[in-house]
Amino acid sequence: MIRVRLHGRGGHGVKTAGRIVGSAAFHAGLHGQDAPVYGAERRGAAVASYAWIDRGPIRERGVIARPDLIVIADETLLADPASGVLAGAEAATAVFINTDRLDALALPDTLRSRVIAADLTARTLAALGRAAALSASLGAAAVRLLGAIPLEALLEALRDELSAIGVAPPELAKNEQLAREVFALLTPLAFADTGRELTLATSGATVSPVASGPLAGGTLAQIEYEGVMRGTPSILASGNAAARQTGAWRVQRPVIDPALCSRCGLCFVQCPDGVVSLDAEGYPVIDYDHCKGCLICQRVCPVNAIHEERETRAW
Amino acid sequence: MVGGGIRKLLTGNAAAAWGARLARIDYVPAFPITPQTEIIELLSEWFDDGTLRGKFVTLDSEHAMLTAAGAAAATGVRVFTATSSQGLVYGLEVLYTLAGWRVPLVLVNVSRGLSAPITLGPDHNDVLAARDTGFLQLHAETCQEVVDFILLAYRLAESPAISAPVLVNLDGFQLSFTREAVELPSAEQAERFLGPFQPLHPGFRHSHPVAQGVAVLDGATYSYFRYQLHRAVENAVEEFSRVAAEFAATCGREYAPLELYRADDAELLLVMIGSYATKAKAAIDRWRAAGRRVGLARLRLVRPWPAADLQRALAGRRAVGVLDQNLSPGLGGVLYQEVAGAVAGMANGPAVLRSFIGGLGGKDVSDAEFDHMLATLDAARPGGPPPAAELLMTQVEWRQVARSLTVAGKQEAVSAGKEGGEHAGSA
Amino acid sequence: MRVAREHFHNLKELPQAEPLAPGSPLCAGCGGLTALRLIHKVLGENVVLVNAAGCMTLLATFPYTPLHASWLYTTMGSAAAGAQGVRDALDILIASGRLPAEENLQVVVLAGDGSTLDMGLSATSAAIHRQLDFWYLCYDNEAYGNTGFQLSAASPPGSWTATTHHGTAQRKKDIFEIWRAHRPPYVATLSAHDPIDLAEKVARAATLRGPKLLLSLAVCPTGWGFDPSLGDEIAKLAIETGIWPLKEARDGVVRHTYRPSRFRPVEEYLRPQRRFRHLFTPQRNDNLLAALQRQVDEYWREAT
Repeated sequence: MIRVRLHGRGGHGVKTAGRIVGSAAFHAGLHGQDAPVYGAERRGAAVASYAWIDRGPIRERGVIARPDLIVIADETLLADPASGVLAGAEAATAVFINTDRLDALALPDTLRSRVIAADLTARTLAALGRAAALSASLGAAAVRLLGAIPLEALLEALRDELSAIGVAPPELAKNEQLAREVFALLTPLAFADTGRELTLATSGATVSPVASGPLAGGTLAQIEYEGVMRGTPSILASGNAAARQTGAWRVQRPVIDPALCSRCGLCFVQCPDGVVSLDAEGYPVIDYDHCKGCLICQRVCPVNAIHEERETRAW
Repeated sequence: MVGGGIRKLLTGNAAAAWGARLARIDYVPAFPITPQTEIIELLSEWFDDGTLRGKFVTLDSEHAMLTAAGAAAATGVRVFTATSSQGLVYGLEVLYTLAGWRVPLVLVNVSRGLSAPITLGPDHNDVLAARDTGFLQLHAETCQEVVDFILLAYRLAESPAISAPVLVNLDGFQLSFTREAVELPSAEQAERFLGPFQPLHPGFRHSHPVAQGVAVLDGATYSYFRYQLHRAVENAVEEFSRVAAEFAATCGREYAPLELYRADDAELLLVMIGSYATKAKAAIDRWRAAGRRVGLARLRLVRPWPAADLQRALAGRRAVGVLDQNLSPGLGGVLYQEVAGAVAGMANGPAVLRSFIGGLGGKDVSDAEFDHMLATLDAARPGGPPPAAELLMTQVEWRQVARSLTVAGKQEAVSAGKEGGEHAGSA
Repeated sequence: MRVAREHFHNLKELPQAEPLAPGSPLCAGCGGLTALRLIHKVLGENVVLVNAAGCMTLLATFPYTPLHASWLYTTMGSAAAGAQGVRDALDILIASGRLPAEENLQVVVLAGDGSTLDMGLSATSAAIHRQLDFWYLCYDNEAYGNTGFQLSAASPPGSWTATTHHGTAQRKKDIFEIWRAHRPPYVATLSAHDPIDLAEKVARAATLRGPKLLLSLAVCPTGWGFDPSLGDEIAKLAIETGIWPLKEARDGVVRHTYRPSRFRPVEEYLRPQRRFRHLFTPQRNDNLLAALQRQVDEYWREAT
């Protein structure tokens, strides 16, 4: 079996990309499953989806803890430990990262040889005019890397899945063209097909055979009664959400030019997350650790003192 | 000191109100439902005349009533409320919520059969629908137990080893409207046994904010909190014995999680809950008078489930029968399954375990039906397919039902019953 | 035209301190969050938010909370009853000397339109009937937003939702009037686009005991389908077209706190939102657009 785990941010189309993989396997006559991970997270927040592919029935459910292929839509996720993009990567055959600056990324040395990189964002932007609509390019990248699925099955899957989310025919054609381009760009990973089972050739760290046996996952925890306060789902550390750096959600960064600012305070008032504060002289200051990049501040500024800049490390 | 209370002739409902009064509750959110109403009428009267201090407030539904109850308990006052049947299941969502908040409060349920068809008589499908919520459950047989259990319930709910809500169950009509002599603990006794409420949660205060009832979207963390609740409720088996010993020392009445009646040398044992246990005891006495070794095990504590007590009580019996005053369609008796779970795998478990369904919707469990159960157990031999749950109904009752069906314009009779016998059930 | 104000006259007077820490998981550009934040500024930190299931439930997602105030998530249908329990308990504790009065809190229900207009209405109606001293803050994003934007009783006519693919047929349930019929001391509509009006209403209501409704339009880029940066402009168009009237009812007497001097056509509000796209493409639905304009015109003809 081949397990694919796709990571991105809400709005990237990671769920649809996972569906394209599952659907392409289906059209190729293979067994496939796909599933998104649901959580509280919103547009811009870390999300994931899964796809399983095999010759025979898929006997898995839920999470993919040990993926064979990891597909990462946004390199900034690597710096976000909560996103867990590299969880189980030690056994993965390959990790695909959508980036144009692979060398600058902080990656474990043991992983580097197994990383494949391509700049899907630039290609998507050129093809569709929107950088974040990555479902077609991500799906195509994953399908191509798997090797066992022909282009026709990918395109059929693409048509199914994109039209299901309301992509109209002219846009669909552009997505198809994009998918062909990505398919041609990447080289498939080596895979083995016994006719009953499909596997990627392992190039990652050796995994103990026990891991897939009855003791998979190691030892179990022993949980005792821990008293009322600890054992109640309540939060005593008020305001601790500040530890979550939602600044990573941002695609565009609002930048204030103090020389133009009239200190009207509108950006401070209208920021949903309250991340624009006023300094001692009444000038607004943006907390980039938390600014989600909605850019309401830019639009409400009456003197155009705020402009947007593309985040260098964003989608 | 033992004694000091006063004896009064009280209904089960009045006993429940007295239990709350002796517990010096601060707050009663209420909503009326038959057969619970007398409880809240009495309490409202006591708040109105100053006997109780705090507040009584009528909500718009049991769902709202239970939410208000839990929110007040989370804020730090001693809360009591009561409902029945439809009300309990209307508020079922909130029962899970309150247990999840780990708030101590006492809810009395006056058992009544569930709609449809809508009915008034008691059975236990309502209260057993709440068995998985995280509420502790104490089941009363007498009006005396109703008073005493409410006091015990507050001690359990407010114990740091537990901190969970407690449901005290009494049967509609059979207890709620039935008067019997009750010895009420004196105010001093009650106060000595149950001190002032000392909240374990910080409550909602300006000086230290807390987020309670928060979303937990990660499965492992969710598992942790649910498991903590499980362990807290489990702790109540031991805590019950400790608290009951203190109660005995203060008020002179002893309670074990599992009451054993003439069970010492019994070959045949009935297991059940609730007020019909009184009738079961009468039947046991009749059989004992005839020289038969029969006995009764009556559960006072249903959550936590006193599995170890049951194992001890059921070990080595020739046959055990569980009388369920409830019916899980497609399964049978709920308690039968739980008893079977408790004795599964025992080296010397009961050789035979049988399931009987009786007293649904307040139907009587007559002497004939008790005799039938005991005779069935006596005749039963180990082995064979899983025994079906047997519905207890006498021929007299069945003939009345058949007549009603005809009156309602339903002509085709399928059930024949067992002609000539006293008992009409079918296996 | 604006009514005279007593407490707030310009943006500088709004409290600078942020009642909510950043880092919440709500969508970028969430209009409901802006409204909550601004209202919270005026209310101060001595509040307990009693929440019903909705988008805002995600504010306190273990182990994080952006709140410096207290929080109690109840259920979807009974937040107002939760407010009753907290209010009563605080009153009992203070009256019996078990809690110093300075620990007192204002009790605030925080609920979306889905819960407010339907499932939570029974508990809320009862709480108003009992004259419970509490705030009710409804962020109205005109659908069940948290579950993916399905039809709610607040979905406006013509709007696509995930369960009304050809557009919502019926008009919004008028929760302002439903509340007003109960004769609470204060009912108001608000918009984050007019923060002074918003702050003024909160400050005015703060002097009153009893049930107080703050009903805020909550522009929703995710559900309504517009770029998050346009949030304030959409909110402004809602007011300037007359779609979202700013008003209050004190002891039942309605007064509009702002009346556009010249109403902009309703179409200007509808057009930028994907949920109304089918009114314009592939064919323009002139009949429905005219009907929607007529509804707004009729409203303002009778408005006081």
